[in-house]
Amino acid sequence: MKTDTRVRIKKAIEKKGPQKPSELVPILGISAQALHRQLKLMVGQGVLVIQGKPPKTSYALAGVADFSEAFEWLGKKIVQKNPKDKVCETRDVLIARLSPLKNLVREGLNPDDLPLLISTVGEIGNNSFDHNLGQWRDVPGCWLEVQATGNHLWVCLADRGQGIYSSLSKANDGIESEQAAIEMAFEKFVSGRTPEKRGNGLKFVKRAILGEADRGIACISGSGTIQYGSWGRECESVLKKRFARVAGTITLMAWRLG
Amino acid sequence: MKIKLVKFGEILTSREAGREAALAIRAYQKPSRDESIELDFDGVLAVGPSWLGEVLKSLNTEYGKARVICLPSDNRSVIESLNILNAEEG
Repeated sequence: MKTDTRVRIKKAIEKKGPQKPSELVPILGISAQALHRQLKLMVGQGVLVIQGKPPKTSYALAGVADFSEAFEWLGKKIVQKNPKDKVCETRDVLIARLSPLKNLVREGLNPDDLPLLISTVGEIGNNSFDHNLGQWRDVPGCWLEVQATGNHLWVCLADRGQGIYSSLSKANDGIESEQAAIEMAFEKFVSGRTPEKRGNGLKFVKRAILGEADRGIACISGSGTIQYGSWGRECESVLKKRFARVAGTITLMAWRLG
Repeated sequence: MKIKLVKFGEILTSREAGREAALAIRAYQKPSRDESIELDFDGVLAVGPSWLGEVLKSLNTEYGKARVICLPSDNRSVIESLNILNAEEG
């Protein structure tokens, strides 16, 4: 009976994302006291992790990054106002938010990995501004969120911009599809910003990810999807649970901790 | 002439900032004829190819590629940025 309750708790969180106890009680039809007993046990077993501080505590599946806020923001037809804590509305804010990434060493990131992690986040985030100034669908900016779970650091960057295909097509004739565009962006020295000679940022990111085991990246723009690294499929599966296509661009990286 | 890049920040990561840094170097550093310009990464936490590419492009144009030297660094972001910039040229 109790095992069944734990299965149902897990299924509810898998389906709906991180849940507060007050949200789980009506789903499961058990008392709050009984629920807390099961949650405590599941945290102890390493099945669940606690997110946030009381009274906003919620329970999430251990080892699984949860970017539901970012997904909701990116998936909306129209956004009128950005949430200030996650979206960098200008490049200056993005660059200012790179410095606190130093603290990730305390979460277990290898100090030797820190320079590459920061520079890859900088390259991806700056792309949002380089290719979307004056082209945003509605609100400007780049979503930047970092989570540490399952012995990995997960970094999500997203924008409500024109997307890679639209950007590259303006400067490169004959790109056949959104898939071809995203592959070109990560594989070739090309850019939508002609006549400027640029286009090395994503190649740099790809090399950084492939440089060590236990790293991964996935990116979706339009219907184009790409993934690299031994954790690329994990990153892709997190994104694909929510998106078959993206208006704009979303990137998820995983870096090993410890 | 040695230029300490940490004076431009410990995180060096956008083309805009790279362009500004290069213009500042060209404006305020006056190497003598034939003197090399050595870029010192000591103290820099992270650098991206966008920033470094803009700096090198501008300084190479002004002083000639042979005079612009990146001093050795253990920083992985410096090493990988230079690798990608070299690959782009090749």
